[in-house]
Amino acid sequence: MNIVLESLIKLVSSFVGTLGFAIFMHAPKRAWLPASTIGGAAYLLYWALLQLNLYEPAAIFLGALLGSVLGQYCARRMRMIASIFVLLAMIPLVPGLGLYRCMSFLAQEMYSAGADAGVRAMVDVVMIALGLAVGSFIFRMAIRTKPAKEEPGK
Amino acid sequence: MPHNDTIYMAPLHLAGRLIMENGGETYRVEETITRMGHAFGFNEVECFAVPSGIFISYRKADGAIETAVKRISRKGIDLTRVDAVNAVSRRMEQEQLSCEEVLALLREIETRPPKITRLGLTAAVAMSSAGWAAMFGGGLMDCVLAFIVAFFCQALAFALDKAGMRSFVSTLMGSFLATILPMLFHLATGLLMVEQTVAACLMPMLPGLAMTNAVQDTLRGDMVSGISSATSALLTASMIAGGALMGTALFRLLTGGVL
Repeated sequence: MNIVLESLIKLVSSFVGTLGFAIFMHAPKRAWLPASTIGGAAYLLYWALLQLNLYEPAAIFLGALLGSVLGQYCARRMRMIASIFVLLAMIPLVPGLGLYRCMSFLAQEMYSAGADAGVRAMVDVVMIALGLAVGSFIFRMAIRTKPAKEEPGK
Repeated sequence: MPHNDTIYMAPLHLAGRLIMENGGETYRVEETITRMGHAFGFNEVECFAVPSGIFISYRKADGAIETAVKRISRKGIDLTRVDAVNAVSRRMEQEQLSCEEVLALLREIETRPPKITRLGLTAAVAMSSAGWAAMFGGGLMDCVLAFIVAFFCQALAFALDKAGMRSFVSTLMGSFLATILPMLFHLATGLLMVEQTVAACLMPMLPGLAMTNAVQDTLRGDMVSGISSATSALLTASMIAGGALMGTALFRLLTGGVL
């Protein structure tokens, strides 16, 4: 498939998926579109890095990092809590397919394949959390070095 | 400072309970309550929050310490309410609000009816699952079926919730249906990428929030909250695994084949 078309599909599908979650989690209405766009952008970066044959946990980490930084920037601009944007941004990265594969292998009594898929999914979850943490650290460093134009808010 | 300092406990408690019940993080509860206490004019405010309870104490003008404990049971996720409580505490820093005013604002947040109906929420979950199906590499057929199955599972979850079932029961049943329905459809028609569709339907049930909260709380040094969130995530994940295993096992029993 054409790479441009394929990346467009990834962007739109992760956008739609995140938007559904934003509604389900009762996020404030004006956060829906920015949060979903950030979710789409984070997944697109992850997918693009995978296409470049980057090691999967590193791609997840960088995707979560992008989501975290963009989410906190957006929260600051829109004067809302950062959790809304950051939580929604990392949802497309949650390894749903990996966890299902793990269970599916276990159900077929393929234990070593199941353990392999399970450990990979766990590594991905830890990488998401690390990406979020490092992202908020970088964001805090960035606003501290720059003189604040507006009063600090969240 | 007014004479009767005891009344300030009510808004502090309500704010903490609202944040925690609606899916806010424990550090946010602690930060917000401390900020509100300072805005009320108390210098010594301490708050300790874990996912199942909040402990607040502050030193009153007469030197005595006022302490209260509140047991919390988590309800669901409502980010609008968490944001609104946070906005109230920010407003208190800017302008002087009386205890009654703050309590009235928080009560309004608590009783405010949700803007989206259950049908709307169910449709949102279904739409999101259709999106995940495409994201995992599924085609149009997978998206449509993911939409239908996720809609059905979420409607069931709401019905079970209304009937007073614990949330892990609906997770178990939901993941069972989300696994077996696409498999049966595949068996009947030969269409569909089963793996992608099932994973897309399971996505809304996955404890993504609890998993990342657990790691983040631990990184922040809140070990009790971290372990509590991790246990909750593990329980939900085990229920999903149990449901998916039951679905796969039943399918194999019915057909005798490996998918």
